[in-house]
Amino acid sequence: MDWLYMHMPISGVEILWPGLVLIGFSVGVIGGFFGMGGAWMVTPGLNILGFPMAFAIGTDIAHIAGKSMVSTMRHSKFGNVDYVLGFVMVVGTMVGIEIGAQLVMALERIGLVGSAVRWVYVCVLALIAYMVFSDYAKAVKKKKMGDVDKEKGAEGIIWYKTLHKIAIPPMVNFKVSGFRCSAWLPIVVSLVCGILAGFLGIGGGLLRMPSLVYLIGCPTHIAVGTDLFEVMISGLYGAFTYTLKGRIEIIAVFVMLTGAAIGAQIGTVATKYSKGYGIRIAFGLAVLCCMVSIILKQLKYDAPAAVLILTAIGLICAYIMKIMFQGAAKELRDKKAGAAAS
Amino acid sequence: MRKRIASLFAIGAALNLLLPVLVWAGGPKAVDLVVVADTRVLSGVNKYFANLYNTNIFLFAIWAVVLTAVLGCVLGWIMDIIMMRTGLDLKSRKIVEH
Amino acid sequence: MRKKIAISVICTFLLSLCLCGAAIAAEAEVLQGKTLEFNKEAKTLTIEEYDLNFDKEFKYGHPTGIQSTVDLTNAQVGIEPAPGDIVRIAYYPKGDVKDAIKVQNVTKQNLMKK
Repeated sequence: MDWLYMHMPISGVEILWPGLVLIGFSVGVIGGFFGMGGAWMVTPGLNILGFPMAFAIGTDIAHIAGKSMVSTMRHSKFGNVDYVLGFVMVVGTMVGIEIGAQLVMALERIGLVGSAVRWVYVCVLALIAYMVFSDYAKAVKKKKMGDVDKEKGAEGIIWYKTLHKIAIPPMVNFKVSGFRCSAWLPIVVSLVCGILAGFLGIGGGLLRMPSLVYLIGCPTHIAVGTDLFEVMISGLYGAFTYTLKGRIEIIAVFVMLTGAAIGAQIGTVATKYSKGYGIRIAFGLAVLCCMVSIILKQLKYDAPAAVLILTAIGLICAYIMKIMFQGAAKELRDKKAGAAAS
Repeated sequence: MRKRIASLFAIGAALNLLLPVLVWAGGPKAVDLVVVADTRVLSGVNKYFANLYNTNIFLFAIWAVVLTAVLGCVLGWIMDIIMMRTGLDLKSRKIVEH
Repeated sequence: MRKKIAISVICTFLLSLCLCGAAIAAEAEVLQGKTLEFNKEAKTLTIEEYDLNFDKEFKYGHPTGIQSTVDLTNAQVGIEPAPGDIVRIAYYPKGDVKDAIKVQNVTKQNLMKK
């Protein structure tokens, strides 16, 4: 079974390469489909496959850099990026990433990086799962009540109005987003997101997106674009600083990036044909499986952990691909039928 | 909704506070870990990069970032062309918000 | 879009050519073996070299009996090697002197176990 293993030149570990390809591909499919990074499963996944934790984080953050280049380019074409806000936030993001990376290195020095990062991940994944399931519960409830859309808008979270009143100079006018506030507000927000991103090796959109909308007061479409821009910066800087610290496996980055690029297209196209909320449940379950497998890894059950995480993301990936190929086949059939009729 | 967002921020903030505590509470001996890539068993491009890793990590970092960025762009571009060829209507795609 | 990508590809290619030129000059060698003596004052490390025949019993190669001493003046040393520890050393061969760059203590820092 030697041919199933690939030698990683830097860390010298032997890695199950089909696992690597599967993780890269799935992160593309799932990220493309749900519109959120999906990087949360890469660090634990790589760690479970046998990467030392610091290498897993570095490798994850580097592949995010490659992936986000494309999506940022696409978004900026539509003018959805507030570059002034983006560049102000770059300061906080970069400092935050560096702090996160330094924390990882400090933990590595005292030999605790593996378990510390794993437990933080368990918390984060529990949070994601909770959000997904409560979202689903709400949608079901709404349907039962007869689809009355009266929540959200009316309630509206207006923390940012209070935060905009804080007048610590320099005050900046963000024209694209349409508000004026102290530059420190976005800097502090991006700093906190940056620390988390640098520590976990994720893009940080999970925390940054809601922060942009509710704390800074960005319109949602601008928030999406600006967040992507920030993810790109944090990916590039994170890749740089983690490489400088010698904690990156560049071959693995390339393998995963290739898989992710193909997967992302399938995932994005699948959104066109998907109906209903069922897939959200599958997503939530995948998150839970990922969480359980991290705990298994922590308890030193390496093989069950690897099997669980790979099966979970493999299945959800297959499900999304099924949606995409069925939908695409139907569309092409209809198109042909339409052409024949006329 | 409001409650959920609040809990999200609370947990985010808590994690950020927790991390440094973890580090300082650790206590035991702190040693920098040094990794040497074993270039004896490698050849070709792998050997070049592993050697760079051992000798000039700064150059290696620049390489890694540039190559990753370029590979990302090139792959995105190729995939766009392939998807265009399939004849699917990709313009009317609705964005599913998460 | 296409133009942009073409330009970026060309730029990288040129950049990479420069980088190659800069890097070829510095080829380092790697040694692995068992620590015999770690002399802090003299800043030297003496090891018995191991070969490349890895197997289950000899994960780090078989002992060759060849003793080598490296100069640690410019080296970055991780966990201090004790006699008996397996170490991996990257060094520049400078005449008779082996000028170490990095020393990894493989025994006490086994990446495969983390």
